[in-house]
Amino acid sequence: MTIPSTLGEVLAQQGVSRRALLKYSAYVASILALPAGASRVIAENLAKARRQSVIWLSFQECTGCTESITRSYSPTIEDLIFNLISLDYHHTLMSVSGAAAEHAREAAMRENKGKYIVVVDGSVPVKDGGVYSTIAGQTNLAMLKATAKDALAIVSVGTCAAFGGIPQARPNPTGAVAVSEIITDKPIVNISGCPPIPEAMTGTLAYLLSFGKLPELDHLGRPKAFFGETIHDRCYRRPFYDKGLFAESFDDEGARKGWCLYKVGCKGPIAYNACATLKWNGGTSFPIQSGHGCLGCSEPKFWDQGGFYTPLAAQAGVSGELVGTAAVAGAAMGGAAAWIARRHQRSHLAEVEALDRSPPAKSKG
Amino acid sequence: MELLQFARGPALTVALAVFAFGALWRLLGVLLLERRGVYSAPRPGAPSIFASALAGIIGKMWPHATFLKQSLFPVLNGYLFHLGLAISVLLFAPHILFIKSISGLSWPALPSNLVYGIAVVTAVSLVAALVHRLTDPVLRLISRADDYVSWMLTFLPVVSGIAAVSHIGARYETLLAVHILTVCALLVWFPFGKLMHAFLFVVSRGETGIRFKHRGADI
Amino acid sequence: MTASTTATGVAFDAQGQASDEQRRNLAMQALVRDLAATGAAQLESCVRCGQCANACHFYVTTGDPKYTPIRKLRPLEQAYHRHVGPFAPLFRLFGIVPRVTAAELEEWEQLLFDSCTMCGRCTLACPMGIDIADLVKQSRHAMFAAGLIPDRLELMDRTTKLWGSPATPSEDFADIIREAGTQFGVAMKIDEPKADYLITVAPAELTEHTKALADAAKVLNALGVKWTYHSDGFEASNIGYLNGDIALQETMTRKLIDAAIKIGAHTLVLPECGHAYGAARWEAGRWYGDKLPVRVIHMTEFLDEAVTSGRIKLKKVGQSASFHDPCQLGRRGGVIKAPRNILAALGVEVKELADAGTVGWCCGGGGGVVSNKRADPLRYRVFEMKRRQVEDAGADRFVTACGQCRITLNLGASKYKWDRKAESLLELVADNLIA
Repeated sequence: MTIPSTLGEVLAQQGVSRRALLKYSAYVASILALPAGASRVIAENLAKARRQSVIWLSFQECTGCTESITRSYSPTIEDLIFNLISLDYHHTLMSVSGAAAEHAREAAMRENKGKYIVVVDGSVPVKDGGVYSTIAGQTNLAMLKATAKDALAIVSVGTCAAFGGIPQARPNPTGAVAVSEIITDKPIVNISGCPPIPEAMTGTLAYLLSFGKLPELDHLGRPKAFFGETIHDRCYRRPFYDKGLFAESFDDEGARKGWCLYKVGCKGPIAYNACATLKWNGGTSFPIQSGHGCLGCSEPKFWDQGGFYTPLAAQAGVSGELVGTAAVAGAAMGGAAAWIARRHQRSHLAEVEALDRSPPAKSKG
Repeated sequence: MELLQFARGPALTVALAVFAFGALWRLLGVLLLERRGVYSAPRPGAPSIFASALAGIIGKMWPHATFLKQSLFPVLNGYLFHLGLAISVLLFAPHILFIKSISGLSWPALPSNLVYGIAVVTAVSLVAALVHRLTDPVLRLISRADDYVSWMLTFLPVVSGIAAVSHIGARYETLLAVHILTVCALLVWFPFGKLMHAFLFVVSRGETGIRFKHRGADI
Repeated sequence: MTASTTATGVAFDAQGQASDEQRRNLAMQALVRDLAATGAAQLESCVRCGQCANACHFYVTTGDPKYTPIRKLRPLEQAYHRHVGPFAPLFRLFGIVPRVTAAELEEWEQLLFDSCTMCGRCTLACPMGIDIADLVKQSRHAMFAAGLIPDRLELMDRTTKLWGSPATPSEDFADIIREAGTQFGVAMKIDEPKADYLITVAPAELTEHTKALADAAKVLNALGVKWTYHSDGFEASNIGYLNGDIALQETMTRKLIDAAIKIGAHTLVLPECGHAYGAARWEAGRWYGDKLPVRVIHMTEFLDEAVTSGRIKLKKVGQSASFHDPCQLGRRGGVIKAPRNILAALGVEVKELADAGTVGWCCGGGGGVVSNKRADPLRYRVFEMKRRQVEDAGADRFVTACGQCRITLNLGASKYKWDRKAESLLELVADNLIA
């Protein structure tokens, strides 16, 4: 069997029709909110796309992101994308290969200098020289810097790589930081989420392969196509919010009737992600649909935003003590002001009386 | 997110502290001043002090018909934005959750989209009040900086709240932070400007109620 | 007397030789002295809604926003914020609220005296319940202290100090009473050593309305009570109250109350005069405590009691009448029903003015304005409005219960050659008494 060099050949070899590729392209174009003509361009470019070397670095992570992107309930065309890309290194998948895996990474970096894509999942610990996470004796920090040096672009997959995520949660013992805090001279696209939606990852990769550039990003470096709207704005329970119908607890009538979960801590209004539209597990469901509020996992510091079950509006960090002290002080000032005013009035009165005894000439000539 | 944390953490704490400090200072500074005695026998059948004060506070809620004729717009518009503000502040579900988180008190909310509509009407009504102030010769003459500052600081939380709910102009958390910061500005200004009438009207109307009921006169 | 004009062209009178500095200080001291919790809360409550303007006859008839009632309190407010308010020490320290200047006081003289009758319609209209009329009265205390009041009022002040009445020397009072008795054929009581009712008078009754002296006597004689006029305490109009001369207000109040005590009267009857009621009924206790040893009532209340108790009988006059409510008696005194009861007893159908009772419009001459020549043009504009209201009501007669209102309205009538006269309710009762 000859090794196919383009996605078109791969698909042909695997018995996938051109029609299926067009269908997938249309799907990618639609989830990326691209104009109608784009789907044909994607199909053509994908068919012509050369095998893309990808190096997947796993740092302080839980493998959830990898689980998300690799697990599918039925073989889909996304699987085939992986047949196209040359996944030259994936630490988690290749851990049993030991030193050979590292050699593969180094070889890929050499052979595809300036052309390979680095995917990172997991945050990078920098405290104490980065000793808290090492692979093959190399700190994550060193490996990231070395690998990123000749990369075409970096894809930070998951909230840990994108924003620091759970390892960075207070008190952040390892000094975990996001990839973007270390690599500042390469194009970086963040695909946040804990884990991210598989379609967001594959769709972004498809865009990269089709157009050779990053899609339009928001201010946090995320593709706007997936992270442009809040869960709340696209939530099927939104009408209940507007009507003022809320679940007050997880086992009340409102919860059973599927009312809005705002009062039980849903972070939908501040979570920018596509869960409410793309959903999970092949469009089956998403957390709110299964009765749990959104955790806002696609957002920076989502772990440190107060309780998951505290309503968004109820997270005021007001110090009652200071306010109480101020009230007491204010009352004291008020009392003092009135006392001063009374004294001031009396002294004025005394002056008036003194003046009355020797008034300015008031009689007329 | 950081801006939001700042807004509802330190900024709000400081604003509430300034509010409590200033409001109590001003209220007690007025209430603890010397009181003049009542120098005359009441009209026979005059109600108690408490009932008289209450009559003043409630009676002044609606003008005599002849005054209403002349001041129809300011009276009705005044009612509109006062009620609109009260509903927007007190009957919006997120506000109630917020108040509950601070004070533990809670009550039922109105549908969010209804409150949204009311807030929009309130904003329009506030603009109308400002236009009236800027065009009416009497109001132009007697208005001072306080009137415009108080107007602006009342208006800003309304529009920033509307923007936050409808996600206009920026991301929700940014708008929410801005909304809270505008409320902080309002709280800081509140004790020092005319907004204190929200508390003082009780005293002022009550005293007038007592004076006039004592005389057997209408309020 | 030094009639002058401010830089902005506003005429003002100044009394005495005090420097601007002295005037300013004297005014501030008076303002500061008077301020208490009630006035403070009210000054703090203003939201500048401007509704008081529409209630003021001087604003409504001129359309000039400078007459907006709350604006008339500016010097008082400034003094309050600088010396008494909760932030006063800071305002003084940082100069946030400046001192009131003599020039401002001069400018405000006209606003506080010429264009305010203290009728209290603004108080009624104020949604915050600010008693603007009462605070204008406080402001007048300062204007008097500073020697900045209209000369005509100051002249009355001096005359009253000298004579005990702006109308006549006290020594002549008894003669005037006796003459009125002779002229109108009524038995008079003067300087009785003991009486239950002390009857007091207003200045106009000692000059042009002397029939009122006889009318009161006629009713009292009909009732068969022990009553008297008394040279020690007869002048009830209390010019000190109008001018802001607290010392004179006290003197005049003491004369009345002391005379009543001296003769053992249980009731002091005030004449048909509005501000007399304001001064004696509500403020006399200031120098005696709230339990005055004598009941103070207005002639209208006295007549109402006599009529409704059936102790005097009245002829049915028929016809219709509009009643002009004197502000101090009605709106600020709570006596609204009494005159209407009396008119009903006279068989007179009351055709109310467009705004009557509590919301009635001022005659335009109260609070000393009618005596203040300088205010004539303003006063006549108010008269035109009042005249329209009377004509619109379409009643046969036009009755009131205040001598000052009558003078104001009749001055207007003669200026505009109007064939209507404001009548005295007392006179109407006396003339139709069934002996």
